Amino acid sequence: MQLKMKKLITLFLIAIIPSFIISQEVTWDKDNFPGKKEEFKNARKQLDIGTEFYSQGRGEFDDFKKAYLSTNKMMPMSHHDYRMSGITNFRDALAPLNTAYAFNPKDGRLNYMLGFIWWVSDPANPQTLKHLEAANQLHPNVENDLNYWLAWTYHLNSKWDEAITKYKEHLTFLSQKAKSNALEIEDVNKKIDECNNGKKLSATPERVFVDNLGPNINTSFPEYGPAITADEETIMYTARRDNTTGGKKDEGDNKYFEDVYVSTKLNGKWQPAKLLSKNVNTESHDAVAGLSPDGSKLYIYRDLSSDNGDLYETVLFGADWEPPVHMNKNINTKKYHENTVSLSFDSRQLYFVSNKESGLGGSDIYVCELDPKGEWGVSKNIGPDINTKYSEDGVFMHPDGVTMYFSSKGHNTMGGYDIFKSTLVNGKWGKPENLGYPINGPDDDVFFVVSGSGNRGYFASAKTGGYGDQDIYKITFLGPEKQPLLNTQDQLLALAANPVSNLKTENAVEIKAAKVTILKGVITDAKTNQPLEASIELVDNDKNQVIATFKSNSSSGKYLVTLPSGKNYGIAVKRDGYLFHSENFNLPDNADFQEYNKDVALKKIEVGSTIVLKNIFFDFDKATIRPESANELERLIKLLNENPTIKIELGSHTDSKGSDDYNMKLSDSRSKSVVDYLIGKGIAAARLTAKGYGETKPIDTNETDAGRQNNRRTEFKITEK
Amino acid sequence: MKNFLFLLTVVFTLTLSAQDTVKVAALTDPNLQAEQDYNNGLAALNKKEYAVAVDFFTKCVTVKTTFDKAFSNRAIAYVQLKNSEAAIADINTALKLNPINADNYFNKALIYYAFNKKDSTTSSLDQCLKIKADHQEANYYKGLILFEDADYKEAILYYSKAIDANPNYVFAINDRAAAKREMKDYAGAIADYNKAVSIDDKQFFIYNNLGSTYRLNKEFPKAIEAYSKALQIKPDYLLALNNRGAANFDNNNLKAASADFESVLSKDPKNSGAYNNLASIALKNKDYKKAKDLSTKAIDLDAKNGAAFYNRGIAKQMLREEEGCCTDWKKALELGVTGAKLFINSTCN
Repeated sequence: MQLKMKKLITLFLIAIIPSFIISQEVTWDKDNFPGKKEEFKNARKQLDIGTEFYSQGRGEFDDFKKAYLSTNKMMPMSHHDYRMSGITNFRDALAPLNTAYAFNPKDGRLNYMLGFIWWVSDPANPQTLKHLEAANQLHPNVENDLNYWLAWTYHLNSKWDEAITKYKEHLTFLSQKAKSNALEIEDVNKKIDECNNGKKLSATPERVFVDNLGPNINTSFPEYGPAITADEETIMYTARRDNTTGGKKDEGDNKYFEDVYVSTKLNGKWQPAKLLSKNVNTESHDAVAGLSPDGSKLYIYRDLSSDNGDLYETVLFGADWEPPVHMNKNINTKKYHENTVSLSFDSRQLYFVSNKESGLGGSDIYVCELDPKGEWGVSKNIGPDINTKYSEDGVFMHPDGVTMYFSSKGHNTMGGYDIFKSTLVNGKWGKPENLGYPINGPDDDVFFVVSGSGNRGYFASAKTGGYGDQDIYKITFLGPEKQPLLNTQDQLLALAANPVSNLKTENAVEIKAAKVTILKGVITDAKTNQPLEASIELVDNDKNQVIATFKSNSSSGKYLVTLPSGKNYGIAVKRDGYLFHSENFNLPDNADFQEYNKDVALKKIEVGSTIVLKNIFFDFDKATIRPESANELERLIKLLNENPTIKIELGSHTDSKGSDDYNMKLSDSRSKSVVDYLIGKGIAAARLTAKGYGETKPIDTNETDAGRQNNRRTEFKITEK
Repeated sequence: MKNFLFLLTVVFTLTLSAQDTVKVAALTDPNLQAEQDYNNGLAALNKKEYAVAVDFFTKCVTVKTTFDKAFSNRAIAYVQLKNSEAAIADINTALKLNPINADNYFNKALIYYAFNKKDSTTSSLDQCLKIKADHQEANYYKGLILFEDADYKEAILYYSKAIDANPNYVFAINDRAAAKREMKDYAGAIADYNKAVSIDDKQFFIYNNLGSTYRLNKEFPKAIEAYSKALQIKPDYLLALNNRGAANFDNNNLKAASADFESVLSKDPKNSGAYNNLASIALKNKDYKKAKDLSTKAIDLDAKNGAAFYNRGIAKQMLREEEGCCTDWKKALELGVTGAKLFINSTCN
C-alpha cells in the first residue's frame, strides 16, 4: 500500500513539474540573469525601445477600433477590417522586441506585444500563435483582451474548440465588467457562432481540386479579383506588379499600383497575361470589378479621392478597350464606396456592391435595371434574404440567370467573409448556402466567379505553395465522393442457370452545374469572309420579347451569349447595308451545360440576295401567321423602310408531305399572308410579290424531321434595288 | 455458353416429361418389335445417346405409325441434336395423333423455348394450360417467359399457380422470389428464398440469391451469412465467394472483402470481376494508382467489364488524368453503366 502511494506521488510530481517550469515567468530583474550584466542591459534597452513603438502603434490601433465602432455600430468582423492600423509603428517595434525576446523569452508581456504585432500584420503566421500562447501560459492576466486575440488566432487557424473556450473566457470577462459593451459581447457571441459553423462545415469538406493557374497568370506579386467569360476562354484580373502603368507604388502599403491584366486560352492553356492598354490602366489603382459573360464589357474600380471609390465601365472595341466611363449616379455615390459588379445573363440587370447608408448594414448588394434609353435605372437593395446587418461583397451572377454567388460576413459564415450561393425561385432569393470548407475558411473569402458550366470556380488566395503573395486559383468541384462499382453475379432463375450481372449504380452525384447554354460564333461578310461588327437581337419566342441586344466584336466578329436552357429563342443579326439573318433555337433543358457554335455570314443588300426568314411561324396546315412571328416581321418592315427602293419577292415553301397541289396552295396562301401583313403595315403593294413554291424547291432532305423542318420556310429575295 | 446451358436445362425438363416405357411380352410380332425399339430408344435417350435414340424411335414409328409417344420422344432427341425442324415436325405429329395430351403441348413449348422461339413457346404453353390449367411445369415456364419479358407481376401469378399445384416446387419458389426481387419487394423475396431452402437446404444457388437479396435490402451481415451457407454446400462456388466479398465491402469490412476477392483470384486467376472489386477497395482506401492498375487488369481480362471502366475513370479523375477519366466513363456508359452519364455531365465539358 505504501509503495503504491509513493508511486502515485512520484507520478504526480513528474506530471506537474515540467508545466510548472514552463509556465514560470521570468521578470526583467537582473538577478534572474546572473553573469549577463551587459547582455541584460542591452536587451532591456531594446525592450524599452520596442515597447515605445508598440505603445504608439497600439494607440493608433485602438483609435481606429473606436472610430470603426462609432461609424459602423459594430466591431470589425475580420482582421482585414483593421487595415493593419498602427502597422508602421508595429514594424519598427518588431526588431527591438525580437532582440529582447532572444534574451528573455519568458516574459509574458513581451510575448503579448509580439503576438499582437504579428496578429495585426499576419495573424495566420505561426509566430502569432506561438507568442500569444506563451503569453497566456506565462502571464494569463497580462492584458484583459489576451483571451480575445488568442481566441481569434485559434479561430483563424481553424482550431475551433480552443477558440470557443477562449472566446467564452473573454465573454465571462466582458459580462463581469462594470461597463460592459453590448457591441463587444455581440461580437464575441458571433465569433463563437462562427466557430460552431466552422466546426460543422469542416467536418464534411467539399470535394474539390484546387489548382494554381500557373506562371502565365501568377507571379511573385499579388494577383487577385479574377473575372472570366462564361466559356472560360478569357480571364481578367488585378495585379500589382513592377510593370504597373507608371511604375509607382502606393505609399499606404508600399506595393505597386493595381492594374488590369488579361489572358486567353489557346488549346486549353492560359497564355502569358498582358497588361491592358493605357485606355484602361492609369498610373493609379485600376482594379477589375466585373466582366460581362461575353467578355465585351469590363467594369473597373478606381479609388479617386473625389469619389471615395467608384465604378467605371469600358467596352471592347475591336482589339482594344475604350476609355472607361464613370457609371451613372444610380450606381456611384460621392460619399460611399462602390465596388464589384456583375451583369445578368441578358445584360439587362446590373448587380453591384455599395456601402451607402440606405443599406441593411456594412456593404450591401444592389441591383438596377436597364431603362428604355439604355441607361441604368435607380438601384434597389436586393433585400434581407441576401443582405445582412454585416457586410456583403463580391457579387457574381451566374450565366444561368438564377444563381447568385456572393460573399458575406453574416449568414452562417465561419469567419470573416464566406462565399455563399443563392437561387432565384419565383422572383425570390432562396436561403443562402455556404459553399463549405475548403472553399471557405475562417479568413476572408471573397471574389469568387464560376464558369458557365458551373463545374469550376476561380478565386484568389495567398495560400502557401503559390508564386508569392496572392495568386489566382481554379477550383474544380468534384461533387460527393463517387462510389465504386462492384462486379457481382447471381443465378437468379433456377432452371436457366443463367448468370445475371447485377450492375448496381451507386448514389447519384449532386451536379452543381446549372442549366446553361452558351451561344457563340463569328459574324462575317458572306462574300469576303471578313469579320463584321453586327447588332444581335435575342428574342424569347415564348414571350415574344426582345430580351437582349448586343454587338459582335468589330475586329474579330466574335460574339457570345449565355442563355438559360429550356426555352425557345430567336436571334436576329443585323447590320446596315446587309440583309438580316435570323435563327430559331429550341434549347432543351435536359443537358446541364451546352455550347452552340453559330457562325453567321451576312449577305449584302443586292439584287438576287435571298434570305430565309426563320422566325416566321404559321398555324399547323394553315396560312395564319402566329403571334411569335411579330419580331421577325418588324425586322423585315424596318429593312424595307430603311431601303425604300428595294422590291422583294416573298416565297413560301413546304415539305413533301401532302399532295403537290395541296402544298402549292398552302405555300401560295402563306406567302400572300405575309405580303398582306406587310401591306397592312404600310409597305407599298408594288414593292411586294407573293409566290408559293410548294415542295418544288427543297433545300434539305424530306426523309427526316429536321430536313422537312428546313424545307418548310419563308424566304425573301431582292428583285429590284 | 448461354444457349448450351439452356439446352441442358431443357433436356433435363424434357426427360422428365418423356413418354412412359411400354411393357413388351414377346418379340415375334412386328408391333412388339416396334415397342421394343421404342423402349431401346428411351433407354438411349436417358443415356444421352441421342442419335441412337432417334434410330430406335424411327424404327418404332415405321411400324407403329400412330404411336404418338415415339414421335414425342424422338422430338426430344432431335432437340438435343439441334435439329429444330425435325423436332417440331415430330411433336406436331404426336399432337395430331393425340390432340388432348397436355404434355405434348408442353413438350412442344419446350422445343420452341430451346430454339428461342418465344411466341410459339407461349402459344404452346397456353394450349397446354387450356387442357390442364394446373400443369405445374407449364405454369412455371409461363412464369419464366414472363420474367424474361420483365413482366414480373404476371410472372409471379404463374409461379404462384405452379407452387399451388406443387407446394414443394423449389425452383418455382426461387423464381417467384427473383420476380419479387426485381419488383423491389425484398421482404417478399427473402420470405420465398427462406421457404425454398427450408424445403431443400442443399440448393447452394438459392442461398446465394438469398444473400444478394439481403444485400439489396442493406442487411449485410445476413447476406454474408447466406453466402457463407452457399459456400458450405459448395466450397468452389466462386460466384457466392465473390458476392460475399461485395457484402463485406458494403459492410465496411474491407479486409474481409479483400480476402474473399483474393480467394476468388487464387481459384480463378482470370476473374475480371474480382480484379475490379479489388480496385473498388483501393478506391475506398484512396489508393488511386492501385485502383487504376487493378481496374486496368480487369479490363485486360474482360474488355466488356463496364464497372471496371467506371472505376478506372474515378481513379483517373483523382490522379488528374482528366481526358482519360472521361474516355473511360464514356466507354462504361457504352457498356450499359448508366451511372457514368452523371459523371460525364458533371466533369467532361
